[in-house]
Amino acid sequence: MNNLKKEIIITGFGGQGIILAGKIVGMASALYDNKESTFVQSYGPESRGGFCSAQVVISDKTIDYPYIKKPDILVCMSQGGYDKFIYNLKEDGTLIIDSDLVKSNIQREEYFSIPATRIAEEMGRKMMANIIMVGFVTSVTHVVSLEAAKKTVLESVPKGTEKLNTEAFIKGYDYGMATLKSREKKASGNIGA
Amino acid sequence: MHKNNIILYLCNWGPHVAFQDLLDKCADIPHEIKMIRIPCTGRISKTLLFKAFEIGADGVALVGCVAGTCRYGSGTNVAEKNVEDTRNILDLLGIGKERLELATFLPDDSNELLEFLKRFSQNIQKIGKSPIVHQKIDFEKRLISREKIGSILKKHNIYVCQDCGKCSSGCSLALSGKTFSPRSVANSLIAGDIYSENVFKDIWSCLTCGKCYDICPMAVNFPEFIRDIRELFRTHGMSPRETHGGFFQSLMRTMISPDIKPLHWQYLPEGIRLNKESKTLFFGGCSPYFDTFFRNHLTVSTFDIMVDSLKVLNFFDIEPAILENERCCGHDLLWSGDLNSFLELAKLNSNIINSKGFDTIVTSCPECLKTLLYDYPKYGIKLNPKVVHIYDLLESEIDKGAVSFKKFDKKMLFKEACRLDLGENEQSKKLVERFKKIQDISVIPNECCGNSSWVGCDAFSKALQTKQLKQARNMGFDLIVTSCPKCQIHLKCAMEDVFIGKELEIEMMDLTSVIAKTIFWT
Ligand code: SF4
Ligand code: SF4
Repeated sequence: MNNLKKEIIITGFGGQGIILAGKIVGMASALYDNKESTFVQSYGPESRGGFCSAQVVISDKTIDYPYIKKPDILVCMSQGGYDKFIYNLKEDGTLIIDSDLVKSNIQREEYFSIPATRIAEEMGRKMMANIIMVGFVTSVTHVVSLEAAKKTVLESVPKGTEKLNTEAFIKGYDYGMATLKSREKKASGNIGA
Repeated sequence: MHKNNIILYLCNWGPHVAFQDLLDKCADIPHEIKMIRIPCTGRISKTLLFKAFEIGADGVALVGCVAGTCRYGSGTNVAEKNVEDTRNILDLLGIGKERLELATFLPDDSNELLEFLKRFSQNIQKIGKSPIVHQKIDFEKRLISREKIGSILKKHNIYVCQDCGKCSSGCSLALSGKTFSPRSVANSLIAGDIYSENVFKDIWSCLTCGKCYDICPMAVNFPEFIRDIRELFRTHGMSPRETHGGFFQSLMRTMISPDIKPLHWQYLPEGIRLNKESKTLFFGGCSPYFDTFFRNHLTVSTFDIMVDSLKVLNFFDIEPAILENERCCGHDLLWSGDLNSFLELAKLNSNIINSKGFDTIVTSCPECLKTLLYDYPKYGIKLNPKVVHIYDLLESEIDKGAVSFKKFDKKMLFKEACRLDLGENEQSKKLVERFKKIQDISVIPNECCGNSSWVGCDAFSKALQTKQLKQARNMGFDLIVTSCPKCQIHLKCAMEDVFIGKELEIEMMDLTSVIAKTIFWT
């Protein structure tokens, strides 16, 4: 059987909760999806407010090496992160960006975008942009299952914020589902009512 | 005894001579035919044709003069239209258009007339009895007691009124120029003035729009108070002058018959995706009947709202179920004081709906929404599914993302419906706000369209509508966006004015239709 191995890099700047997002994705697959996963975090030289990234590998088999050179999925929540990693993304890899924070300057047909930070602001907590992004990644990539991701979100966020964070997660997830549906409709040439 | 009841409306002139001839010859006219002599077929309105069915006719024949020989010129032509519309209503109601026929004869045509009567009677024999059960109304013979009025006054807490006069100054009717004040109606009743002509008129002319309730500092719910007084009046034989001769009340009462199977969904266009297994029920409403009734008149197309609602649901891949034999929700019966009939209809509806295991009812009609959501429970009728307006559902779908609206090239005025208060309804309000960001649309809060529940339309209703339409045009709007089919019907009626109609004309469209036309996946 093929080893379904997925390498994911999530990048952004410090304070966005990038590391937590990576941790949730990794933990969810290891704890509830019966897979192996590794998680490596790295901060740039100016870790406070500066660039940072999380590297997550998910696999059906034992993972020998946790560092990622060419990710299958690249999630960018800052322009800096995007500029740094975009050329490493695999040819057929999936790019996911926060549409308000990142301008994609290369021609790529396949990329997903969500105004995660803006949605979080509308919900009253900018900090939740990362959880919205986790929801979005869950629905558009299927690297983790909905149930696993939801459970892990609940367990990882500070006490007292579970309800709001679950809402944020669902928002991101629904946005992803809507995006997929929109693609399907476009492909069928039927975008109106 | 013959099983069937057949009513023969027979014109006094040409065909009556033929009929008389048959009587003189002792011809074998089928016994079940009961003849009613009429001055002209053109005078038999849709209401009179339909009422015969309401009170137990199995077939109705309207027999007049051959076109061109009508004593009054246009009688036969008018009759043709009325019969066609009423036949179409019977068709929607699922009892068969063949139960009503128009035939014309010359005075000499007695043989042909006999042949027709025999054939018609055989046809009715073949179709069988009509499933409509006549709802008999027993009027209370005694006078209305002050205690009864008192308990209604108490129920609605009318005594908290501070006499501040806000309601009268904001009342839609008073603003149209009518000498009318909700406060003084209440005061008259408090004073025991139950049988005065003014009170009677006022009770039946209130538009139940709720504008007064919106502004009353003591939250006196005047329209609901009026509703209870109307019920009391009606059961004591003080019925209103219903518009269109009471056609719509008759229509709704026939729907109480348990065995009728309305078929008003039968003309749904192709391509609409429905799913019998769905847990979501789309409740449409009475638009098909309205469109049929007003076909020659207003050319309204309120059925489009139902179709567009289904299209937008399909847009989100929501494939709802519909009740194949959907009935009216009963709104107009309730608000025109016929509580008994309303309750019968509501029970029937709730039994049918609850037996199907739906979890949600979606409707695009504000009256259906208000009735199913608030009034059914208020009268102890339980509906298991939750009831939502289509705007709520759309807002939550649109909020998920990846859809937007094309700019609609119209300067739009959105007219809130009295039965759907955006202030009370967060989701709908958000939807309208969202829409406003893209479209050139202004919102006008609860402005009465001039009539409700088919009672008490008068010159002041017209004045109200005229004013609104003129204002909209003067302010440069070119599309009035509505959310209730009735608003369209009533405003369109004002535009039909033979003298000033042209000055009032303005395009109208339901918000759901505007959404259906502009929404797209980004
Ligand atoms: S419900 Fe409307 S018409 Fe009736 S009294 Fe109140 S404002 Fe006037
Ligand atoms: S607004 Fe309310 S309190 Fe004031 S007069 Fe009218 S019913 Fe009475």
